[in-house]
This record gives sequence, structure tokens and C-alpha cells, in this order.
Amino acid sequence: MGEGPAYGYEMTKRLRARGLSIVGEGSIYPLLGRLERDGLVETRRAASNGGPPRKYYSLSPDGQRALEAGVTEWQTARDAVDGALGLVKVEVGP
Amino acid sequence: MNDFVEECRREWRRLGVPDPIANEMAADLAADIEEAEAEGGSAEDVLGNSVFDPQRFAASWAGARGVTAPQPLFDEPPKRRGVLAVALAGFGAFFALAAVALLLGRRSASAAISVRTIFPGRAGPYGSVGVAPSLRFPSFGPQFVVQHGGAFVLFAGLMLLLGVVALGLAVMYWSPWSPWSRHRLKVHAREVGRPNRSARSGR
Repeated sequence: MGEGPAYGYEMTKRLRARGLSIVGEGSIYPLLGRLERDGLVETRRAASNGGPPRKYYSLSPDGQRALEAGVTEWQTARDAVDGALGLVKVEVGP
Repeated sequence: MNDFVEECRREWRRLGVPDPIANEMAADLAADIEEAEAEGGSAEDVLGNSVFDPQRFAASWAGARGVTAPQPLFDEPPKRRGVLAVALAGFGAFFALAAVALLLGRRSASAAISVRTIFPGRAGPYGSVGVAPSLRFPSFGPQFVVQHGGAFVLFAGLMLLLGVVALGLAVMYWSPWSPWSRHRLKVHAREVGRPNRSARSGR
């Protein structure tokens, strides 16, 4: 969503293009619903390319702050996991 | 419209999702599925495994948005539950009290009758000592007690048992910890998924 407003299926396609198809499968709608309920996204209805009007989701100011906090938290966790896994010696093939 | 979307609409109607919101969600879903099909894909590309369980998907989405109507905790309306519980409690209390009164009355009557039999001249204004007018036994009292005492006690005991059971059932029926209530809660949780009691009609 940080790349710009998108409707449900468009977001699914974006995620799939980044190898995150499992996130998009069916769970995207409840996820967007939860973000909307929590005020982390803003919505507007607009015409899509030749199709019916769609509901576009974009980050709200609160959502932007939550995204920044989430990214920081994720990177911290990832670094910690990377550090732990770095100690593991993996033997590769004969 | 797509069968999947129709199934979702039915589920939203059942969950009390306001029509304008249900229409909006249905329209978005239908448009996404149509787009996927136009690109040579299918509804599964949009919904993944959820395509096989529209009710669950619909309930999950509506619950996440917080647009489901508050679900009743119990199947029956609270007023009906209350009437049933009160009726059971009243029935139980009546039988229990009646049984206790009969047992105590019989004991008093027997004692008074014994007194009168031993000391016939000490009968009071009611004809016997210490017996309430409604529980007085006439001169045939001792014979009555002797001949029907076992059946009388059995009858009173059964009434007492019935009363206690009815009172217990009333408490169990009303209590949220009873098996019935827990069963209702399980059904409720299974049907709605994560219960959401903060319906917001504006979304």
C-alpha cells in the first residue's frame, strides 16, 4: 500500500508479484477490513481501468506511523534471527 | 452474480450486516473475481482456499470490519429464558416447601396426638396441644398416622426430591457455567468465528 492506493485484487497481485501469494489468498479482505476498522487505511471509491468502480485503500496518517513502527520492529526481529542463524553451521552437499 | 458472492451475501444477511455494507462488499468481491476470470484465472486466484468455504470467509471478513450485528449469547430471547428459569424455580420452591411443611406438620401432629393419647385431659382449645388448626388431627389421628405413615413420608420425600431437582435445573439453566450455556456458547463461537460485539453500522 506504500506504493500507492490499490483495491483488493490489485493488492493480491502486488503481493503475488513479490512472492507473497500466500498472504493474498482470501486473507487480504479480512486484513483490509481490520485495517479499515482500526483507522489505519483510508478508502475511496473510484473507477478502475474499464471496470466497475472499486474501493481503493491507502495508508492513513496513523497507518503510515504504524507501518514505520512495524518496519522497524520487523527489522530488529529479523536482525536478531539472522544473528542467531549465523551461528548455525549448515553443511552443503558432498 | 457469482455463486460464491451469493453465498457470502446470505451469510452476511444471517449475521445482520447492514445491507449497504453487504452490497458494497459483494460488489467489490464480484468485481475482483470477474477481473481474475477476465485475466484467465479463477475465483481461487482471488480467494485461495477460502473459495471452498464462503460462509467462513464471509463471517471472517464481516467480523474483521466490525459490521456484524451483536449476536445473541443464547438461542432464546433473554425474556423467554427468564420466564423458563423463574417457572422452574417457582415449581421447585413450591414442591420443596410443601414437602417440608408436610413432614414438619406430620411430626408435630404425631407428637400432639401422642400427648393427647397419653394425657387426654390436657387437650387445648384446638383439641390437642401444640398443633396448628390446619394440621390438627381429629380423634382418628393415631390410626391415620399408623396406617398411612410410610406412604405419607414417601409422598412428602418425593415432593421434596422433585422440588430440589427443579430448583437445581433452574439454577443450571440460568447459570452461564452450565453445560447448556457452554453448548450455546460453543455453537455461537463456531458460527460466528471470533465474536464481535461492536457492530458499526457506518462501515
